[in-house]
Amino acid sequence: MAYSDKVLDHYNNPRNVGSFDKKDPSVGTGLVGAPECGDVMKLQIKVNPATGIIEDAKFKTFGCGSAIASSSLATEMLKGRTVDEALAIKNTEIVNELSLPPVKIHCSVLAEDAIKAAISDYKQKTQTAAPQSQTA
Amino acid sequence: MFCRYCNHLQAPTPDYYEFFALPRNLALDPDDLQKRFYAMSRQFHPDVFTLHSEQEKRYSLEASSILNDAYRVLRDPISRAEYVLKEAGFDIGEQRGKDVPPELLEEVFELNMALDELRSGDEDVLPQLDQMRHNFVEMLHQIDRDVEEQFRRHDAQATLDQRQAVLSEIRAILNRRRYIRNLVGEVDKQLTARNA
Repeated sequence: MAYSDKVLDHYNNPRNVGSFDKKDPSVGTGLVGAPECGDVMKLQIKVNPATGIIEDAKFKTFGCGSAIASSSLATEMLKGRTVDEALAIKNTEIVNELSLPPVKIHCSVLAEDAIKAAISDYKQKTQTAAPQSQTA
Repeated sequence: MFCRYCNHLQAPTPDYYEFFALPRNLALDPDDLQKRFYAMSRQFHPDVFTLHSEQEKRYSLEASSILNDAYRVLRDPISRAEYVLKEAGFDIGEQRGKDVPPELLEEVFELNMALDELRSGDEDVLPQLDQMRHNFVEMLHQIDRDVEEQFRRHDAQATLDQRQAVLSEIRAILNRRRYIRNLVGEVDKQLTARNA
Protein backbone atom coordinates (compact mmCIF):
# COMPACT_ATOMS: atom_id res chain seq x y z
CA MET A 1 0.00 0.00 0.00
CA ALA A 2 1.39 3.38 -0.96
CA TYR A 3 1.38 6.31 1.43
CA SER A 4 0.15 9.66 0.16
CA ASP A 5 2.70 12.45 -0.33
CA LYS A 6 1.33 14.24 2.71
CA VAL A 7 1.71 11.20 4.92
CA LEU A 8 5.27 10.75 3.68
CA ASP A 9 6.01 14.41 4.29
CA HIS A 10 4.82 14.21 7.91
CA TYR A 11 6.50 10.86 8.39
CA ASN A 12 9.89 11.95 7.06
CA ASN A 13 9.67 15.40 8.56
CA PRO A 14 7.42 15.14 11.61
CA ARG A 15 6.34 18.43 13.20
CA ASN A 16 6.50 19.12 16.90
CA VAL A 17 8.11 15.91 18.09
CA GLY A 18 8.97 16.03 21.76
CA SER A 19 7.36 16.52 25.12
CA PHE A 20 6.47 19.03 27.81
CA ASP A 21 6.72 18.51 31.52
CA LYS A 22 3.47 16.72 32.24
CA LYS A 23 3.38 18.13 35.76
CA ASP A 24 3.16 21.68 34.39
CA PRO A 25 -0.40 22.88 35.15
CA SER A 26 -0.69 24.52 31.73
CA VAL A 27 0.11 21.23 29.99
CA GLY A 28 -2.43 18.57 29.08
CA THR A 29 -1.20 15.07 28.25
CA GLY A 30 -3.02 12.41 26.26
CA LEU A 31 -1.65 8.88 26.04
CA VAL A 32 -3.58 6.42 23.88
CA GLY A 33 -3.04 3.04 22.27
CA ALA A 34 -4.52 1.46 19.17
CA PRO A 35 -6.29 -1.85 19.65
CA GLU A 36 -5.87 -2.64 15.93
CA CYS A 37 -2.13 -2.34 15.56
CA GLY A 38 -0.42 -1.87 18.92
CA ASP A 39 0.56 1.75 18.27
CA VAL A 40 1.17 4.06 21.22
CA MET A 41 0.66 7.79 20.88
CA LYS A 42 1.43 10.62 23.31
CA LEU A 43 0.13 14.07 22.53
CA GLN A 44 0.56 17.15 24.71
CA ILE A 45 -0.88 20.65 24.57
CA LYS A 46 0.44 23.78 26.25
CA VAL A 47 -2.36 26.21 26.99
CA ASN A 48 -2.19 29.89 27.81
CA PRO A 49 -4.31 29.95 30.98
CA ALA A 50 -5.38 33.58 30.43
CA THR A 51 -6.74 33.13 26.91
CA GLY A 52 -7.46 29.40 26.80
CA ILE A 53 -5.53 29.25 23.54
CA ILE A 54 -3.29 26.29 22.76
CA GLU A 55 0.08 27.91 22.20
CA ASP A 56 2.10 24.83 21.51
CA ALA A 57 1.62 21.10 20.99
CA LYS A 58 4.00 18.18 20.93
CA PHE A 59 3.74 14.48 20.22
CA LYS A 60 5.65 11.26 20.23
CA THR A 61 4.20 8.23 18.46
CA PHE A 62 5.46 4.68 18.16
CA GLY A 63 3.72 3.06 15.25
CA CYS A 64 3.12 3.06 11.54
CA GLY A 65 3.67 5.96 9.17
CA SER A 66 0.01 6.91 9.15
CA ALA A 67 -0.14 7.05 12.94
CA ILE A 68 2.94 9.29 13.04
CA ALA A 69 1.58 11.51 10.28
CA SER A 70 -1.86 11.73 11.94
CA SER A 71 -0.42 12.86 15.25
CA SER A 72 2.06 15.21 13.59
CA LEU A 73 -0.78 16.87 11.67
CA ALA A 74 -2.91 16.95 14.83
CA THR A 75 -0.30 19.02 16.67
CA GLU A 76 -0.27 21.49 13.75
CA MET A 77 -4.04 21.76 13.79
CA LEU A 78 -4.10 22.34 17.54
CA LYS A 79 -1.82 25.34 17.67
CA GLY A 80 -3.67 28.64 17.83
CA ARG A 81 -7.04 27.11 18.65
CA THR A 82 -8.85 27.50 21.91
CA VAL A 83 -9.34 24.37 23.97
CA ASP A 84 -13.01 24.26 23.02
CA GLU A 85 -12.26 24.71 19.32
CA ALA A 86 -9.73 21.91 19.59
CA LEU A 87 -12.40 19.62 21.03
CA ALA A 88 -14.33 20.03 17.78
CA ILE A 89 -11.52 18.55 15.66
CA LYS A 90 -12.77 15.43 13.94
CA ASN A 91 -10.73 12.52 12.71
CA THR A 92 -12.31 12.98 9.26
CA GLU A 93 -10.37 16.24 8.89
CA ILE A 94 -7.17 14.28 9.36
CA VAL A 95 -8.35 11.57 6.96
CA ASN A 96 -9.09 14.16 4.27
CA GLU A 97 -5.95 16.17 4.77
CA LEU A 98 -3.69 13.10 4.62
CA SER A 99 -5.82 11.13 2.10
CA LEU A 100 -5.73 8.15 4.42
CA PRO A 101 -7.00 4.87 2.93
CA PRO A 102 -9.85 3.07 4.76
CA VAL A 103 -7.47 0.61 6.48
CA LYS A 104 -5.64 3.54 8.07
CA ILE A 105 -8.64 5.48 9.33
CA HIS A 106 -8.11 4.05 12.81
CA CYS A 107 -4.83 6.01 12.95
CA SER A 108 -6.78 9.26 12.64
CA VAL A 109 -9.26 8.04 15.25
CA LEU A 110 -6.33 7.44 17.55
CA ALA A 111 -5.10 10.99 16.97
CA GLU A 112 -8.56 12.37 17.75
CA ASP A 113 -8.65 10.27 20.92
CA ALA A 114 -5.23 11.63 21.88
CA ILE A 115 -6.44 15.23 21.41
CA LYS A 116 -9.51 14.57 23.56
CA ALA A 117 -7.43 12.83 26.22
CA ALA A 118 -4.95 15.74 26.34
CA ILE A 119 -7.74 18.30 26.67
CA SER A 120 -9.52 16.34 29.34
CA ASP A 121 -6.25 16.04 31.26
CA TYR A 122 -5.73 19.79 30.98
CA LYS A 123 -9.29 20.56 32.09
CA GLN A 124 -9.00 18.23 35.03
CA LYS A 125 -5.84 20.02 36.12
CA THR A 126 -7.36 23.50 35.88
CA GLN A 127 -10.45 22.40 37.77
CA THR A 128 -8.52 20.96 40.67
CA ALA A 129 -6.11 23.90 40.65
CA ALA A 130 -8.78 26.63 40.54
CA PRO A 131 -11.96 25.42 42.24
CA GLN A 132 -12.98 29.04 42.91
CA SER A 133 -13.89 29.50 39.22
CA GLN A 134 -16.65 26.93 39.62
CA THR A 135 -19.54 29.39 39.98
CA ALA A 136 -22.88 28.82 38.32
CA MET B 1 -9.11 -47.14 20.37
CA PHE B 2 -9.12 -50.92 20.10
CA CYS B 3 -12.30 -52.66 18.97
CA ARG B 4 -13.79 -54.24 22.05
CA TYR B 5 -14.93 -57.30 20.06
CA CYS B 6 -12.02 -58.09 17.75
CA ASN B 7 -9.31 -56.12 19.57
CA HIS B 8 -8.09 -54.51 16.32
CA LEU B 9 -6.77 -50.98 16.33
CA GLN B 10 -9.42 -48.51 15.11
CA ALA B 11 -9.06 -45.13 13.41
CA PRO B 12 -7.65 -42.82 16.13
CA THR B 13 -9.59 -39.76 17.24
CA PRO B 14 -8.00 -36.43 16.34
CA ASP B 15 -9.30 -34.84 19.57
CA TYR B 16 -6.44 -34.56 22.07
CA TYR B 17 -8.57 -34.97 25.19
CA GLU B 18 -10.50 -37.90 23.78
CA PHE B 19 -7.25 -39.45 22.68
CA PHE B 20 -5.91 -39.46 26.23
CA ALA B 21 -9.36 -40.40 27.59
CA LEU B 22 -9.26 -37.29 29.76
CA PRO B 23 -12.13 -35.05 30.89
CA ARG B 24 -12.08 -31.63 29.21
CA ASN B 25 -10.40 -29.89 32.13
CA LEU B 26 -7.82 -27.14 31.88
CA ALA B 27 -6.00 -28.09 35.04
CA LEU B 28 -4.12 -31.30 34.26
CA ASP B 29 -1.74 -33.33 36.37
CA PRO B 30 1.50 -33.32 34.37
CA ASP B 31 2.74 -36.56 35.91
CA ASP B 32 -0.46 -38.37 35.06
CA LEU B 33 -0.30 -37.01 31.50
CA GLN B 34 3.27 -38.18 31.14
CA LYS B 35 2.40 -41.66 32.36
CA ARG B 36 -0.43 -41.90 29.87
CA PHE B 37 1.88 -40.66 27.14
CA TYR B 38 4.53 -43.32 27.82
CA ALA B 39 1.99 -46.12 28.12
CA MET B 40 0.22 -45.13 24.91
CA SER B 41 3.51 -44.66 23.07
CA ARG B 42 4.27 -48.30 23.69
CA GLN B 43 0.72 -49.37 22.95
CA PHE B 44 0.52 -47.69 19.54
CA HIS B 45 4.13 -48.01 18.47
CA PRO B 46 4.33 -49.07 14.78
CA ASP B 47 6.82 -51.82 15.73
CA VAL B 48 4.05 -53.57 17.59
CA PHE B 49 1.97 -53.75 14.42
CA THR B 50 4.50 -55.12 11.92
CA LEU B 51 2.58 -58.42 11.64
CA HIS B 52 -0.86 -56.77 11.55
CA SER B 53 -3.00 -55.70 8.57
CA GLU B 54 -2.02 -52.71 6.43
CA GLN B 55 -4.95 -50.79 7.85
CA GLU B 56 -3.84 -51.35 11.44
CA LYS B 57 -0.29 -50.36 10.51
CA ARG B 58 -1.62 -47.13 9.10
CA TYR B 59 -3.75 -46.49 12.19
CA SER B 60 -0.78 -47.10 14.47
CA LEU B 61 1.24 -44.54 12.54
CA GLU B 62 -1.61 -42.03 12.73
CA ALA B 63 -2.15 -42.72 16.42
CA SER B 64 1.53 -42.27 17.22
CA SER B 65 1.62 -38.99 15.37
CA ILE B 66 -1.54 -37.64 17.06
CA LEU B 67 -0.20 -38.85 20.40
CA ASN B 68 2.98 -36.82 20.00
CA ASP B 69 1.09 -33.69 18.96
CA ALA B 70 -1.45 -34.13 21.74
CA TYR B 71 1.22 -34.56 24.38
CA ARG B 72 3.19 -31.56 23.17
CA VAL B 73 0.10 -29.34 23.19
CA LEU B 74 -1.50 -30.52 26.45
CA ARG B 75 1.73 -30.66 28.43
CA ASP B 76 2.16 -26.88 28.34
CA PRO B 77 -0.61 -24.97 30.20
CA ILE B 78 -0.66 -22.09 27.70
CA SER B 79 -0.79 -24.16 24.53
CA ARG B 80 -3.35 -26.39 26.29
CA ALA B 81 -5.57 -23.37 26.98
CA GLU B 82 -5.14 -22.16 23.41
CA TYR B 83 -6.17 -25.58 22.14
CA VAL B 84 -9.30 -25.64 24.31
CA LEU B 85 -10.14 -22.07 23.27
CA LYS B 86 -9.78 -22.92 19.60
CA GLU B 87 -11.91 -26.05 19.96
CA ALA B 88 -14.55 -23.98 21.81
CA GLY B 89 -14.80 -21.61 18.85
CA PHE B 90 -12.66 -18.69 20.04
CA ASP B 91 -10.34 -17.12 17.52
CA ILE B 92 -6.87 -16.55 18.91
CA GLY B 93 -5.18 -14.95 15.92
CA GLU B 94 -1.92 -13.07 16.07
CA GLN B 95 -3.68 -9.77 15.38
CA ARG B 96 -5.40 -9.75 18.75
CA GLY B 97 -2.07 -10.30 20.45
CA LYS B 98 -1.16 -6.73 19.60
CA ASP B 99 -3.89 -5.14 21.71
CA VAL B 100 -2.41 -2.54 24.00
CA PRO B 101 -3.78 -3.25 27.46
CA PRO B 102 -4.84 0.25 28.63
CA GLU B 103 -3.36 -0.16 32.10
CA LEU B 104 0.01 -0.79 30.43
CA LEU B 105 0.07 2.24 28.13
CA GLU B 106 2.40 4.27 30.29
CA GLU B 107 4.94 1.49 30.65
CA VAL B 108 4.75 0.57 26.97
CA PHE B 109 5.40 4.17 26.03
CA GLU B 110 8.37 4.45 28.39
CA LEU B 111 9.76 1.19 27.06
CA ASN B 112 9.53 2.43 23.48
CA MET B 113 11.23 5.66 24.49
CA ALA B 114 14.11 3.79 26.10
CA LEU B 115 14.47 1.47 23.11
CA ASP B 116 14.54 4.50 20.84
CA GLU B 117 17.32 6.07 22.89
CA LEU B 118 19.28 2.83 22.85
CA ARG B 119 18.96 2.65 19.06
CA SER B 120 20.35 6.13 18.77
CA GLY B 121 23.36 5.03 20.80
CA ASP B 122 22.49 6.19 24.31
CA GLU B 123 23.86 3.51 26.64
CA ASP B 124 22.65 5.28 29.79
CA VAL B 125 19.22 3.74 29.34
CA LEU B 126 20.53 0.19 29.78
CA PRO B 127 19.87 -0.07 33.53
CA GLN B 128 16.40 1.39 32.99
CA LEU B 129 15.72 -1.15 30.23
CA ASP B 130 16.91 -3.95 32.49
CA GLN B 131 14.52 -2.78 35.19
CA MET B 132 11.62 -2.56 32.72
CA ARG B 133 12.38 -6.00 31.36
CA HIS B 134 12.41 -7.31 34.90
CA ASN B 135 9.00 -5.70 35.59
CA PHE B 136 7.47 -7.21 32.49
CA VAL B 137 8.82 -10.65 33.35
CA GLU B 138 7.31 -10.24 36.82
CA MET B 139 3.98 -9.44 35.15
CA LEU B 140 4.27 -12.64 33.13
CA HIS B 141 4.77 -14.66 36.31
CA GLN B 142 1.72 -13.04 37.84
CA ILE B 143 -0.28 -13.78 34.68
CA ASP B 144 0.75 -17.42 34.81
CA ARG B 145 -0.58 -17.60 38.36
CA ASP B 146 -3.82 -15.92 37.24
CA VAL B 147 -4.14 -18.39 34.40
CA GLU B 148 -3.86 -21.35 36.74
CA GLU B 149 -6.49 -19.91 39.01
CA GLN B 150 -8.83 -19.41 36.04
CA PHE B 151 -8.16 -23.01 34.99
CA ARG B 152 -9.48 -24.25 38.30
CA ARG B 153 -12.45 -21.91 38.04
CA HIS B 154 -13.18 -23.17 34.53
CA ASP B 155 -13.06 -26.80 35.58
CA ALA B 156 -15.42 -26.18 38.50
CA GLN B 157 -18.20 -24.74 36.31
CA ALA B 158 -21.20 -26.98 35.89
CA THR B 159 -22.51 -25.92 32.48
CA LEU B 160 -20.96 -25.39 29.09
CA ASP B 161 -22.18 -21.77 29.05
CA GLN B 162 -20.44 -21.02 32.32
CA ARG B 163 -17.30 -22.62 31.01
CA GLN B 164 -17.48 -20.49 27.87
CA ALA B 165 -17.67 -17.37 30.04
CA VAL B 166 -14.51 -18.32 31.91
CA LEU B 167 -12.80 -19.23 28.64
CA SER B 168 -13.48 -15.77 27.35
CA GLU B 169 -11.72 -14.31 30.40
CA ILE B 170 -8.83 -16.69 29.88
CA ARG B 171 -8.54 -15.54 26.30
CA ALA B 172 -8.23 -11.92 27.45
CA ILE B 173 -5.50 -12.89 29.92
CA LEU B 174 -3.64 -14.84 27.24
CA ASN B 175 -3.81 -11.87 24.86
CA ARG B 176 -2.24 -9.68 27.52
CA ARG B 177 0.37 -12.34 28.14
CA ARG B 178 1.28 -12.53 24.46
CA TYR B 179 1.50 -8.76 24.28
CA ILE B 180 3.89 -8.54 27.22
CA ARG B 181 5.93 -11.45 25.90
CA ASN B 182 6.33 -9.59 22.63
CA LEU B 183 7.58 -6.56 24.56
CA VAL B 184 10.16 -8.64 26.41
CA GLY B 185 11.13 -10.20 23.08
CA GLU B 186 11.55 -6.75 21.59
CA VAL B 187 13.87 -5.69 24.44
CA ASP B 188 15.93 -8.87 24.05
CA LYS B 189 16.14 -8.37 20.30
CA GLN B 190 17.46 -4.84 20.74
CA LEU B 191 19.93 -5.90 23.40
CA THR B 192 21.35 -8.77 21.35
CA ALA B 193 21.47 -6.61 18.21
CA ARG B 194 23.58 -4.20 20.24
CA ASN B 195 25.93 -6.91 21.47
CA ALA B 196 26.33 -8.48 18.04
